[in-house]
Amino acid sequence: MKQPVIAFSVGAVALVVLLVAAPFAAGGYETNVLLQALLYTMLTVSLNLVAGYAGQFSFSHGAFYGIGAYTTAIMGRDLGTGFWINLPAGIVVAGLFGLLLGIPALRLKGHFLAIVTIAFQSIVYLTLTQWVSVTGGQNGIAVPHIGAVGFGGHTLLGITTLRGYYWLALVMTAIVLFVSWRLVRSRIGREWIAVRDDETLAGAVGLDTMRAKLLAFVISAAMAGAAGVLSAHVMQGVTPDDFTIWISCSVVAMMVVGGRGTFVGPVLGALLLTLLPEFLGGLAQYKMLIFGVLLVLAITLVPEGIVGRVRQRRGGAR
Amino acid sequence: MDLFLQYLANGIVVGSSYALVAVGLTLVFGILGVVNFAHGEFYMLGAYAGLTAITVFHVPLPVAVAAVIVVSALLGWGAEVILHGPLKNRDATSSIISSFGLAVVLQNAALIWIGPEPQLLQTSLSAIPVEIGPVFMPLQRLMLPIATAVLLVALHLVLRYTWTGRSLRAMAQHGTVARLCGVRIKRVAIVTFMVAAALAGVAGFLMSSVYMVHPLIGNMIVLKAFTVVILGGMGQIGGAAAAGILLGITESMTSAYLDNGLRDIVGFVIVIVVLLVRPNGLFGRKADRS
Repeated sequence: MKQPVIAFSVGAVALVVLLVAAPFAAGGYETNVLLQALLYTMLTVSLNLVAGYAGQFSFSHGAFYGIGAYTTAIMGRDLGTGFWINLPAGIVVAGLFGLLLGIPALRLKGHFLAIVTIAFQSIVYLTLTQWVSVTGGQNGIAVPHIGAVGFGGHTLLGITTLRGYYWLALVMTAIVLFVSWRLVRSRIGREWIAVRDDETLAGAVGLDTMRAKLLAFVISAAMAGAAGVLSAHVMQGVTPDDFTIWISCSVVAMMVVGGRGTFVGPVLGALLLTLLPEFLGGLAQYKMLIFGVLLVLAITLVPEGIVGRVRQRRGGAR
Repeated sequence: MDLFLQYLANGIVVGSSYALVAVGLTLVFGILGVVNFAHGEFYMLGAYAGLTAITVFHVPLPVAVAAVIVVSALLGWGAEVILHGPLKNRDATSSIISSFGLAVVLQNAALIWIGPEPQLLQTSLSAIPVEIGPVFMPLQRLMLPIATAVLLVALHLVLRYTWTGRSLRAMAQHGTVARLCGVRIKRVAIVTFMVAAALAGVAGFLMSSVYMVHPLIGNMIVLKAFTVVILGGMGQIGGAAAAGILLGITESMTSAYLDNGLRDIVGFVIVIVVLLVRPNGLFGRKADRS
């Protein structure tokens, strides 16, 4: 019983060291790809809370991601506030939009829920393109670097370089992973699983299923908002085309390919689907094509996800 | 008032294309339970098939339409092999993701091999003006509502009076019982996909003289078609046709009297409102089969 735990810890520490040290070994391009993978990991892990554990498929994660990004862009432009104020603001605003959509949408089930979230995603995207006076339309809004991180009057580090953003993303990803780890192992997480496995039964034994689903929806949206705030600064700007329905679908795809309702699965899926097309060599033109083919193959051949398949092989334990 | 009628006519033209695309989508959903995100690519590739037939091979219009139907139907067959064959008996989410992958593949294949430049189709029909009272439009546009009416009546007759149609309807009502009664599911699935793709392809071809054609046009049209399918009620062919034309008219009026920027949003807002009030769609019966 002890040995796997030790092996796991050693493995985890090695992985963390490897990830932290990665920018020293890798070039700018590879670091940027890794940074994208981290952003997708945050999105996928947060979507997994609502779709994997609570069983409510949402195709609007790209919208919450965009709402976070536009919150920091608009606040930075109009109020002159910086990243450290905009980050909590982005989390709250995205969470509020999650609540706004969740209250009506979560009364629906299955593909109806999927399609309402698709409609919401489309409304957000079209609003970003059309409400030019606020969002800048297709030109978007420029976002400054995060800049100096101070504590007690001292400047600790300045986040202006790719490496700085990479490490910040690593820290934020770790926080998202930790929070979701705690959540799924708490009473709240068990409520989500109960709702996913049998909503009627969960309601019959006195569980407030609507509250449980709504909580998952809001937390998930808020986390996507955090990723959005970071991405706006990484990209140095926001444009509507970074937050389309295709982002939402990609995030769902990453979660499913890795294994929904498992803890490691979404991380694996996000890394795999971001990195694999990139490292296929000088086929940049065919990158998206290969992504699509991988997706179709994965969902056809390994529908339970990679982690799900591994667990099945080990004897069907959940 | 004259302008109002013109807006109405424009709305009906665009709405006809929505109806054609949405009827195929709802057919595939209602009979096979597949939510097909790649449906917009049938529309896009149908438009390109027609453009190629006319500009490269200089064939007359009816031949071009036939070519579009053949190409789209073959695509539909291929889509069935990918989206329905291995994925049946799974939840709708699997087909959403798999068809999303297929859409990405088709779009990017089109971007690579056809190129991103938008193209517009000019045929001999676009030069012929038609005036009905205060309403004016080129004959090419008028073809859309006419073709939609013809195709939908034909579809209705096939579903009503042929054995293929009967097996399609039997599948739609209850897949397992239909199979027990000797309906060949594989064949029904392929026919359904082929018909759906052909309808979308024809819509794309006819619209290629109204809007520019480029590899990404499928994106918005498939979202609109989903809107229409929900408004019409999942799996309801008549509902999809009516809701499609209504959406076209609503969009045309919104852009004329409110704001052109609201044009694409209005449908999605209506969908959310409708689903909250009537979760099975405007014309829907109970569609939740779980």
